[in-house]
Amino acid sequence: MSTETTDVDMANSWPVQYLQDHTVHIAVVLLFVAYPFVYDILVDLFALTAEMVLPEPRTMLTILALGLFAMSFDFISGYTGYLSFGHGAFFGIGAYFVVLGYNGQIPLLPAELPFMMLMLMGALAAALFALVVGLLAFRLSGVYFAMITLGIAEIMYVVSQHWDYLTVDDSDPATGTAAGSPSDVELFEPVIGIPFIDPLNATVHPAFGETTFLGINFGDPVIVTYFAIGSIVLICYFLMQRIIHSPFGRVMIAIRENEQRAKAIGYNVFYYKIGAFMISAFFGAIGGALLIVINGTASPDTTLFFLVTGFALVATIIGGLGTLAGPLFGYIFLEGVEEFLARKASGGGLQPWLQEILPGSVLNASVSGVTVDEGMNAFMTGHGEFYTGIIFVVFVLFVPIGMLGTLRARLGADSVADWATTRIEKFRTESESEAGVEPPASETDPEPESDSD
Amino acid sequence: MIDHLALGAIDLLTSPGDLSSVIVEGLAKASLYLMIATGLTLIFGLMDVINFAHGAFTMYGAYIAAGLMLALVTAGMGFGTVMFIFIVVLALVFVLLAALGTVLEVTLVRRLYEYPPIYQILLTFGIAITLEQFMRMIVEFRNINNGQWNFDWASPRRQTLPSELGDAELLFIQFTNLQLFEIMLGALTAVGIWAFLNKTRYGLFVRAGVEDEEMAKALGINVQRTFTIVFAIGSGIAGAAGVILMWDPLWSTSVPLALDVLLPAFVIVIVGGLGSFKGTVVASLVVGMIDALGTWAFTTGVIQFTGIDELMIFTILVVTLILRPRGLFGVEGMGDHG
Repeated sequence: MSTETTDVDMANSWPVQYLQDHTVHIAVVLLFVAYPFVYDILVDLFALTAEMVLPEPRTMLTILALGLFAMSFDFISGYTGYLSFGHGAFFGIGAYFVVLGYNGQIPLLPAELPFMMLMLMGALAAALFALVVGLLAFRLSGVYFAMITLGIAEIMYVVSQHWDYLTVDDSDPATGTAAGSPSDVELFEPVIGIPFIDPLNATVHPAFGETTFLGINFGDPVIVTYFAIGSIVLICYFLMQRIIHSPFGRVMIAIRENEQRAKAIGYNVFYYKIGAFMISAFFGAIGGALLIVINGTASPDTTLFFLVTGFALVATIIGGLGTLAGPLFGYIFLEGVEEFLARKASGGGLQPWLQEILPGSVLNASVSGVTVDEGMNAFMTGHGEFYTGIIFVVFVLFVPIGMLGTLRARLGADSVADWATTRIEKFRTESESEAGVEPPASETDPEPESDSD
Repeated sequence: MIDHLALGAIDLLTSPGDLSSVIVEGLAKASLYLMIATGLTLIFGLMDVINFAHGAFTMYGAYIAAGLMLALVTAGMGFGTVMFIFIVVLALVFVLLAALGTVLEVTLVRRLYEYPPIYQILLTFGIAITLEQFMRMIVEFRNINNGQWNFDWASPRRQTLPSELGDAELLFIQFTNLQLFEIMLGALTAVGIWAFLNKTRYGLFVRAGVEDEEMAKALGINVQRTFTIVFAIGSGIAGAAGVILMWDPLWSTSVPLALDVLLPAFVIVIVGGLGSFKGTVVASLVVGMIDALGTWAFTTGVIQFTGIDELMIFTILVVTLILRPRGLFGVEGMGDHG
């Protein structure tokens, strides 16, 4: 009898409960971890076909960095309802802080500080900047809020295009800083990991980083970079997700649903909005720093530009506004389409596949002076934006709550993790009652502290 | 720095030639800004739709006009003929873009009136991306075939802008006749839209719809059709603005024109106050004048920063929103949450 009691206790102890609540998270993380290896296997098996359909691991790096940025955008826009249209400003601060800090261009900071320090300091700088912007902007709401944040970000974009302080060696500010590019004296080699624990640190760069991580040789710097960036994104995700499920996050949602009522209950909504904005800026800047790990340089057009925020918005809507993880999946979708229509050199896609499959006579068949191959070049290759634009319009019209939002609605739960938890709970209770054990009703939390996926 | 600016200001005020040129240029820029922003303000004022595809419409207007002008204007034509063709092209582009606007309103935008405003922003943003990339495809399509069809889109301006619209001088004032032409078109737009809103039956419907949509419906006004017509007119004006931008040397017929137009247009609409046509006119004048001042300051070396005009425009936006959160003539409650 005593053993049975221990079993029940074991099954309801907090680690078990915790793991149970996070089943979906664990599954998704495992999928992400397995992805580069699965990709390799599938490419070995199906060659061009797999290359065509799947985004290559190199693209996954960009997806992770931009996905984190889109999540931070969703954090403020999806949960408080304030559309932060100049969110690229924070992304840019994170990116430029790392590059400038590494080159010793930030006052009081010595050159070549470890990447992790620069990343965190840049994120704090972005949060402070968000405090200033928030004090000005949160006096407004709706369209006006979107426009003042856009205005501030555009001022930064214009300045960054013409201010030579932001460049190394007096290169053209519009084309970007030279840190990390081969022309620079020293290559930018970010080390990601926990300081002072050697095996948990890795020099990462998709082109020349380490190939060994945790003592395992992966043989490919892209995979090590993928894991390093992936861990940071995962940690950031869990932190944001934790905040959203805390009382603070509940107030954010209350502001979105009915700001007047939240105020009437007695919350100082102004402080909550600014707090949420700062947190969002913090994580957005980390996304920017991660982009530097991948690209090695920052340029106004890849960081501060209006369309950087624009595409975060597109990813957020496709993934699901107010779902936190949705924007990451949205980005996988976006970049997937982009790569599907990319040229051969950048990860395979439809055109190389068709060139392989179709006979030369079809490819060179000419329609009013233009061959089919040239036509593909003109109308598909490199024009992913055209098709993502159409897909986006379709999403807004017919799936306005996005992929993850729709999945949730289908499952009838607040989050996918919620649904999985209740299913597992039900399954366990059923099997236990079959075995003649009383269901431990009193010990299960009626509303398990669960997480949105 | 302050001394430097003060000296510059004294310089400007004591030189009637410079001052008057800056004013003429400011008025010309204001006219262009007004033409760019009018469509946006009409559509927003009535329908609460922030049309992100607005810049794309202007860009299409510029490309269509560039193609048509190049095809129709030949070297030996007189000034009158060229201007006549220009007006015809302007009208044609207006009709074409109005048709495009109608199609988009009836098939797409209409479905989302019941949704929160953010969904209309999203929808028009998606339309903008698609339209821009489509034009890029067409432009690049001309570039394939080993560059045989390669085409310089700046050439329509060089080849069809009549020399009569070039530099001119009156007393001590230096300007270009193109600037005068732009000011004329801008004034026509302002008067035309004012007359449309205040003197026509549909203008009355539009104002009624802005005032109280439910009441207008209850009184038997077909608000739905009014929406369609306003969306069409707004899109048409956006396209027509592109036609004159095709001629203006400070703008260019290119795909990024869409964004170059969209952002200042937003600034003007917001600075003037959402939904207020009077505000848009005033904001165009303010932004145009300050823009001209900035350009003057840069060319004379008072301020040495290349991006000065763009910087000024967005600074005006931010400062206005801080000082007057609803813009200059904005209405309380419009464009807020909910």
